[in-house]
Amino acid sequence: MKKEVGIVDIGYGNIGSVYNAVEFLGFKPSLEKKSENLKRYSHLILPGVGSFAKNSEIIQHNGWFEPLKDFINSGSYIFGICIGMQMMFEGGTEGGNNKGLGIFSGSCEKFKTDLIIPHIGFNTVEHKKTRIWNDIPNNSSFYFVHSYRIENTNEDIDYCHTVYGEKFISFIEKGNVFGSQFHPEKSHNLGLKLLQNFLNFK
Amino acid sequence: MLKKRIIFALLYSDGYFHLSRNFRLQKVGNLDWLIHNFGFGETCHFIDELMCILVKENPSKEDKISFLKDIEKLRKKIFVPITIGGGISDREDVKNYFLNGADKILVNSNIYNDDLMKMIEEEWGKQSLSIMIDCAKNEHEMDYKIMINCGKKFKLNLKEFIKIYFSKLPYGEIIINSIDNDGNGSGLDLEILKIFPDTIKSPILLMGGAGKPEHIFLGLNEKKISGVVTANLFNFLGSGLEIARKQCLNKGINLANFQKLAKL
Repeated sequence: MKKEVGIVDIGYGNIGSVYNAVEFLGFKPSLEKKSENLKRYSHLILPGVGSFAKNSEIIQHNGWFEPLKDFINSGSYIFGICIGMQMMFEGGTEGGNNKGLGIFSGSCEKFKTDLIIPHIGFNTVEHKKTRIWNDIPNNSSFYFVHSYRIENTNEDIDYCHTVYGEKFISFIEKGNVFGSQFHPEKSHNLGLKLLQNFLNFK
Repeated sequence: MLKKRIIFALLYSDGYFHLSRNFRLQKVGNLDWLIHNFGFGETCHFIDELMCILVKENPSKEDKISFLKDIEKLRKKIFVPITIGGGISDREDVKNYFLNGADKILVNSNIYNDDLMKMIEEEWGKQSLSIMIDCAKNEHEMDYKIMINCGKKFKLNLKEFIKIYFSKLPYGEIIINSIDNDGNGSGLDLEILKIFPDTIKSPILLMGGAGKPEHIFLGLNEKKISGVVTANLFNFLGSGLEIARKQCLNKGINLANFQKLAKL
């Protein structure tokens, strides 16, 4: 299959920086506003900005739910960023109880910590040295901005962790599905490297 | 462990980036100057975040659009988080700022507009809402005056603000900007922190007065402080921020140590 990079554009929030990052890496991404077109992509990025509730509402009611699930089940590469990663799980409680895509078990719940919330800024990721982490030193810093994180998972996934009052899931990987709680497109060169490694998958 | 932050702020009005001294603005150059003469791209390798603020009093819709257009060009090759603010007064502004590159938006004069703040919280989440207060010393009463509209109009005293608004305002972080120290390079106003209760659970950032690396270190060394913001284009010209960053790291400040890759 020819390499086609799509960035899901549900019409919300800042996806320009994801676009700029992919373009900077030498690819020609398409901002995809129509769910029926997802099939044409070899690599899809699901960015997420805004609340879990708003993203869930748009995905559920504007016809993205089935096409996204179909895309993931087809085995093509997908990378969810922040809420885009959270959406891979069953649901979340930010802004009420809302459904995710349910690819993995687990839900997105608020941090239970006395530390400052939201967790904003650069924090280190302990990674699993899988191929998407090629050339990225372990415990490098990536940019986070969130108050909720995944819990209650029991899936057999390669999780990476970050510590903020507790050890939480900051990166997921299973087969063709990847997701980061942090923003690689905001994390200087090493964030770009992570995206580049993903986009280079054949 | 979560890192502290060094944030660089650009002050923009009418097509130019400005230096500010006690909130009096001085034009220094346009976008082209910033990129080619200032070496902005290189500077961004050593900051944790970028902040872009429209510092025009009561800007029109057109002012905001041309501001966003310049920011759009600026951020093409900049891969750091960006906070954009100045002049945000309604939902359309909020939406435009996010669509044009804001990871977070910055609200200052309009944080007292409950409907606006509630709408931003509900639709975008409060983690993407930064609030800024511009404070001027009120020596007589051991307090500070919070000024709005680019420092032109008195709103209320800081102690009153903390009592009335602070606990119920939705926000992800607060930036405390010192009008007295703004642009004078004499150091950050650390005294103001004493007025804030220890119980605050949101990140506090200090702005105004950082003129050399030592000032950034002293700010970041405060337990209550998550980050330091500087808008001083000239004090940290060239490798200024790289040096400041290294010094802070050497003195044990918990900052991210960014790596430049030989190739991407």
